[in-house]
Amino acid sequence: MKKKVLFLGASGLIGPYVTPGLEADYDLILTDVKPHPLGVPVRQVDIRSYAQVLEAARGADAIANFTVVRGDPTDSFLVNTLGAWNVARAAVELGIRKIVHTGPQSVRPAYEHEFGLDEAPGAPGSGYYGVTKWLGREICRTWAENCGLQIISFVFAGLGPSPEGLQVKEDIPFFRVVWEDLQHACRLALELETVPGGFQEFNLFSYPANGKYTLDKARRILGFEPTRRWEEYFRRPAGARPVSEAVG
Amino acid sequence: MRVLVVEAPGGLSGAIAAELATSHEVRLFGASPDLPTGLEGADERLQRGVSRTVGSLLEAADAWQAVRHIDAVVHPGQMPALAPGGDAQVLEWYTRGTHVLLKAAVEAGVRRVVLGSTLDLFGAYPEDVYITEQWRPRPGTGVAQLAPYLAEQVCREFARDYRLTATVLRLGRLVLEEEVAGAPPDLMWLDRRDAARAFAVALQRDHADAVHWTTRWQFLHVCADIPNPRYLIDAMRRTGWVPQHNFAAAWGGPAEAAGR
Repeated sequence: MKKKVLFLGASGLIGPYVTPGLEADYDLILTDVKPHPLGVPVRQVDIRSYAQVLEAARGADAIANFTVVRGDPTDSFLVNTLGAWNVARAAVELGIRKIVHTGPQSVRPAYEHEFGLDEAPGAPGSGYYGVTKWLGREICRTWAENCGLQIISFVFAGLGPSPEGLQVKEDIPFFRVVWEDLQHACRLALELETVPGGFQEFNLFSYPANGKYTLDKARRILGFEPTRRWEEYFRRPAGARPVSEAVG
Repeated sequence: MRVLVVEAPGGLSGAIAAELATSHEVRLFGASPDLPTGLEGADERLQRGVSRTVGSLLEAADAWQAVRHIDAVVHPGQMPALAPGGDAQVLEWYTRGTHVLLKAAVEAGVRRVVLGSTLDLFGAYPEDVYITEQWRPRPGTGVAQLAPYLAEQVCREFARDYRLTATVLRLGRLVLEEEVAGAPPDLMWLDRRDAARAFAVALQRDHADAVHWTTRWQFLHVCADIPNPRYLIDAMRRTGWVPQHNFAAAWGGPAEAAGR
């Protein structure tokens, strides 16, 4: 029998691209406050309401929280911070152990000029988006450590489709995750039996080639690898003549 | 300095206002128009130095008004009233409310803030360790611990981003020494009068122009000086603060007398 997963934020900027890759393996309860951009039926659930989250989560084996408000002075807190709190509380009340949480990475720009970063301490800043998601993350960590929840948090700098064809004269988008890889990571997260310490956060991306950020922790704990060597799409032809010669 | 003091229950904001009024102009900010200034019955000149502005920490317009012409902010970090919205409202007050206040403050050019928090964040550690500011807070899931912890996180990000001296005072359990005479002693006791003095001393920190944000930002643990402390207060003592109320009757004298 498939695991039942409550998916919060199914109509947002990420949900429509992730859920198709999970449908074959999970019984998804798609929810959001707004209609799905492709007309897929979603249940109206407002993460700001504990009662709504609790009711939607009944019978679920896991909760995936892909909700976000980026810049509103009030709703950033109510969705990103109190929303995470509502999810954790509902999980504990219903005996749901697994939560997949999401948010923006919090290590840029503090470590913008560094390399080899795997698990740098977060520096979210005081902007509404960063700090409210950071508080939500801290709520997740606190509830995991105190209540036995198993929470995987994926944080991103950019998300999008996989490259198509050679990307000429383009640098590797080093902190970007493609949809196939995010779907893969979500499956790994949902299947991971034990999360060390109850809470683990992963800077998730698909292009580790330039060594700026590493996937060592994601490999070690989740068994995550990008589904393809996406850097190959950004390979420069070796031995190419300088432009001045090429144009004769 | 012109100092804004956010209201707090149990007479704390009044005690802070009274402590500050001897040297600063004080403006109390809170929902109640009858906020005690702590100077009731005191010299009229002192009383004239304390004003009130009514408003909510959750309203940006109120916070904007409150910080007009203010040099420093003292936020005791204790929600003043029962929250009809329950724990959700408490969390919002500590998180969004702190953000509203600090955003207004930095936009008004405030360069010093002192935020109250709680030593309760370390209750999960075993009794046989000494706790200092170098220990990682371990809040529980109850809002009494989680909310102040999250307020600290908000304040930290403002210290990171702005030329702001931000000091967090993690306070012990606030009481008046004479009111707990005969009660079982508590390792976390902190007399409210000493707490008020701690805020006044912390307000003297000025590192707003420090290049490194880690200099602008500091935690200090504050509680009574007892013979066998769990919470070491050496960092706070180095600021010049000396607790006057150490519950000697309960513990058998201050640390010095015990030869620590």
